[in-house]
Amino acid sequence: MEIVVASGKGGTGKTFVASNLCVYLKRNLSEEVVAVDADVEAPDLLMALGGSTREVVREEFYGSYIPAIDMSICFNCGRCAEACEFDAIHMAPEGPVIDYSKCEGLGTCAVVCSVKAITLIEDKTGDIYASETPFGITVVTGDLELGKGNSGRLVYELKERAYRIASEKRVEFRVVDAAPGIGCPVVSSIAGSDLLITVVEPTPQSLKGSLRLLEVAETLGIKTVAIINKYNLNPGFTAEVEKKLGVEVLGYVPYDDAVVKAYTSAVPLLEYSPASKASEALVKCFDRFREGWFR
Amino acid sequence: MTVLTVTGGKGGTGKTVVAVNLALALSSLTGERVLLVDLDADNPCTYTLLNVEPKTVEEVKSFKPVIDKDACVRCGTCVKHCPTHALFLIPNAGLSFIETLCEGCAMCMYVCPKEAISRGHRLTGWVKEADAGDLHLVLGELRPGDRKYHDVMEAALNYAKRIWGNYRIVVIDTPPGTGKGILMALNSSDIIVAVTEPTSLGLLDLKRLNRLVTPLGKPEIVVVNKYGLPGGAHNKLERYLQECGLRWAKVRYDKRLMSAYIRGKPVIRYDPDAPSALDIQALAEMLAKEMSLNRS
Repeated sequence: MEIVVASGKGGTGKTFVASNLCVYLKRNLSEEVVAVDADVEAPDLLMALGGSTREVVREEFYGSYIPAIDMSICFNCGRCAEACEFDAIHMAPEGPVIDYSKCEGLGTCAVVCSVKAITLIEDKTGDIYASETPFGITVVTGDLELGKGNSGRLVYELKERAYRIASEKRVEFRVVDAAPGIGCPVVSSIAGSDLLITVVEPTPQSLKGSLRLLEVAETLGIKTVAIINKYNLNPGFTAEVEKKLGVEVLGYVPYDDAVVKAYTSAVPLLEYSPASKASEALVKCFDRFREGWFR
Repeated sequence: MTVLTVTGGKGGTGKTVVAVNLALALSSLTGERVLLVDLDADNPCTYTLLNVEPKTVEEVKSFKPVIDKDACVRCGTCVKHCPTHALFLIPNAGLSFIETLCEGCAMCMYVCPKEAISRGHRLTGWVKEADAGDLHLVLGELRPGDRKYHDVMEAALNYAKRIWGNYRIVVIDTPPGTGKGILMALNSSDIIVAVTEPTSLGLLDLKRLNRLVTPLGKPEIVVVNKYGLPGGAHNKLERYLQECGLRWAKVRYDKRLMSAYIRGKPVIRYDPDAPSALDIQALAEMLAKEMSLNRS
């Protein structure tokens, strides 16, 4: 089962929920878990789960392409520039010039070139590494090259790796910690998952983000439930959030200083402070998830 | 004209709160109207804080294939070439297209041997604009279900660039992250304001962001938002800032800021004596001085 944790807005507690869900599955249900950090522009999950005790995989991922033009063959017909949907090629007097900051690397230029002067060269998208962590959870992390696009492709690859690792070890659960937002990497994170947990704060900004995320989940046909985090920061708004979301709410987690302290100590909250209010509330949410979604 | 870009790596550190309040403070300080550009196309939140309803000024469109089912012979050439697997053949049902997976490269149209695919358009998002009193707001908004957020960011930034000659101060608010969209915004900026929070994750993401920012050689100031957060990793963060010789300013952890935020109001106007509002005011004064923009 693949569970993805996402939210339309940043900082609502995705990594908090994802890391502790992993701990819950492992500790409370004795289930093995492979976790995926799909926030490839700001990966934090490994740290939230206590850091790496042993790295089991480290690879460079070349999932992107950049075009290269052989100017000895090119006869300046301009078809590549015309066909590029991203205005990444313009015709200069000396021939076609590629603006790599606009290039998406999808290769239409190479296909339309009548003399096959354009070849696609593999380009590094990022690094993929898998690590074991102190609480027994394997974390697969993607680390996008700084300033690069193509995060969606890296996320697909991460999910594929996690699936392979889970299959080999006969692990039932994969937990994906998505990037904030609803764009390319988030679509890739959600696509094909069995359940989406959206983490919402009781603020208009977070509600708006989650509603946008629910629209995406709907187009992909993914079942969604919600956890309302830091609900006591704005208790009056919580009922409205629940009503407007219109999906099952697994529960409410209060703002709790213990959460920040747990991060500072690099120990997941359920291990760091199991008796804290936030821990107890989280466990209730996860119990409800287990009752409804597991077995 | 000076372009300030507010960014931060991690989500939820307070980029939008800092950007909006800073823009308002700079406007008050200088008597200038400030252009605020919200590039968080996934979830633009500036307008909810400013309580304005932006109007669409531009539709952002991208290519999508229109399939002529009669001309299609189901040869699978387009399926084989589609780099994002947005096209596939279903036995007995023909060619299918998943718009959410499409990146709009038009490859399918060029490779189809029967010319059964023609150019269609899909709506990727909008560039919107609003008059917000002391601020003029331009924002990009991605249509939910579309993935091409960089296109919307680029369209919003290009729109802003066409009008920003009319302003002396431009503030750009970015989404979280360290990818292509962020680099695009950074490349257009004169001063970079990196908003972080005193948590381990905030520090981790700030370090990553700085691997992108530092090589650009542009002036950077780090804003430690939620300073004083109980249990926070203040020592580790301050040590890092000191080791890197980074300039930094604090915005205190402040329940009064949260109280303004949940009401959808900028603290600097709603509760100007709140500790966080005073800190943002001080930051604005420093930046105005740096830009030599104080009201004469």
